[in-house]
Amino acid sequence: MIEVSNLTRSYPGVVAVNGISFKVEKGEIAGFLGPNGAGKSTTMRILTCFIAPTSGSATVAGFDVIRQSMDVRRRVGYLPESNPLYTEMRVEEYLHYRARIKGVAPAERAKRVDGVLERVSLTDRRRCIIQHLSKGLRQRVGIADAIVHNPEIVILDEPTIGLDPAQVREIRELIRALGKEHTVLFSSHILSEVEKVCARVLIINRGRLVEQGTPEEIANRLMKTGRVRLEIRGEGRAMKETLETVPGVARILWAQKGDLNTYVVESSDGRDVRGDLFRCCASKGWEVLELAYERLSLEDVFTLLTETVPQEAAP
Amino acid sequence: MSRLAALVRRELGVYFVSPLAYITLTALLLISAVAFYGSVKGAVAARAPGDFQGPLFAVVMVVIFSSPLVTMRLLAEEKSKGTIEILLTAPVTEAQVVLSKFLATIALLVFLLAPTFGYALILARYGSVDFGQVFCGYLGVLLLGGALYSLGIFVSSLCSSQITAGLITFAVVILLLIANIVPVENPTLRQIQEFLNLGNNLGDFIKGVVDSSRLVLLLSISGFFLFLATRILETRRWR
Repeated sequence: MIEVSNLTRSYPGVVAVNGISFKVEKGEIAGFLGPNGAGKSTTMRILTCFIAPTSGSATVAGFDVIRQSMDVRRRVGYLPESNPLYTEMRVEEYLHYRARIKGVAPAERAKRVDGVLERVSLTDRRRCIIQHLSKGLRQRVGIADAIVHNPEIVILDEPTIGLDPAQVREIRELIRALGKEHTVLFSSHILSEVEKVCARVLIINRGRLVEQGTPEEIANRLMKTGRVRLEIRGEGRAMKETLETVPGVARILWAQKGDLNTYVVESSDGRDVRGDLFRCCASKGWEVLELAYERLSLEDVFTLLTETVPQEAAP
Repeated sequence: MSRLAALVRRELGVYFVSPLAYITLTALLLISAVAFYGSVKGAVAARAPGDFQGPLFAVVMVVIFSSPLVTMRLLAEEKSKGTIEILLTAPVTEAQVVLSKFLATIALLVFLLAPTFGYALILARYGSVDFGQVFCGYLGVLLLGGALYSLGIFVSSLCSSQITAGLITFAVVILLLIANIVPVENPTLRQIQEFLNLGNNLGDFIKGVVDSSRLVLLLSISGFFLFLATRILETRRWR
């Protein structure tokens, strides 16, 4: 349904999205997870034809987002991050207008609008002026707009941002229900939310896709590769390079605070590398403050992937 | 076509939800009424036939000065509120968006002008009115309004604040009004200056003369700025 390959979008001085590739299958609810500024919105704006990619390609429902933009737009429902609405209009009036510009046939329009109002439980507020609605209700108007033309794909950018917990739960239920009829791609910077709703998670950070799979898959993958947490005092980069030569070490994430270095060492095929690491440190005479085996929750994985990586990448 | 109609209807709706349409209409009626009263009184005193040029001139002034207010929010507000994102991710083209805004302003102008036709009817009741001249004058106002509005839409497409858009449009409009006072020697420049001057462009129409060069000029200006505004909107995708 959505196929993105090697997508890059740069703004002057910033690469917002850096060569990401992924696929979302028909009928799937996929969650786009990443901290603020990771490139989620940019990617979604490309998929909805609002902006064009600098390089790479994306097809949505089988149509290219640049060359067949109109075909894409007809098949996609989109809720932008800030949920912009024409606030001076009435709910019903707004949805009729949106249905009309999205090409819903006149005969079906009233039925579609009634249907989506029912769907987002706004039927009793249909005559309200949007400006007078609370943020949660406005969010539902935005979602109603996204699905009013019965699109194949629904793209929701941070649909729960700024809502209270009860509203968040409502919207989450709504997204889950949408997943039964539409392919849904939605973004969030809150892990628990994505974990609860999505069949598949795409974790993005600094414009790069760092992990993808079902929440269990990601957790298992990272938990299976034994993870060792190692804290050493000293010159971080040189030590990291040395540690990488220890047999069985697959990847090292590194965070630094003063002369205190925290490494998260991933070993390949679940091998326990604690002994080897200890011997390596001992032979160099490094001051080891902590050496522990780690069990990770998805929360930890997310934190590691999105916070430790950039520090490692920093010069 | 249905899409364009929906877009125009929404744009027009905004004018009537906000006080803008009513305030402009009130100002227009007040000012033109004063001008009408003055011109009739003058005509009676001089025992001359009453004429419609005075009130129409007042109408033109209001149209000119209100044009920045009418156009400033059109695209700038869509950008500042972010609604441009829902507009241009729906299956509508940039050209449709720009054209719909332009058509809405023209529809608003027709709505504003309509009541002033009453003056012509009153004149016709007590004297003779050359309705050809009256309609020609209205045609001129519509053409001039169209040119100014498309200019305003273009400026609005460049700005993300409607106040900025309004001020810039206002400055350009004033510049066009007073373009004549700068003495220019070069004959080519002189001619350009003649063409740019708003008063010149309208004078003949109000007198009842349809000057085809003016007609083409005003229509071209409208087309040109609408084209530019469309292009500006399109560049959004690549910036």
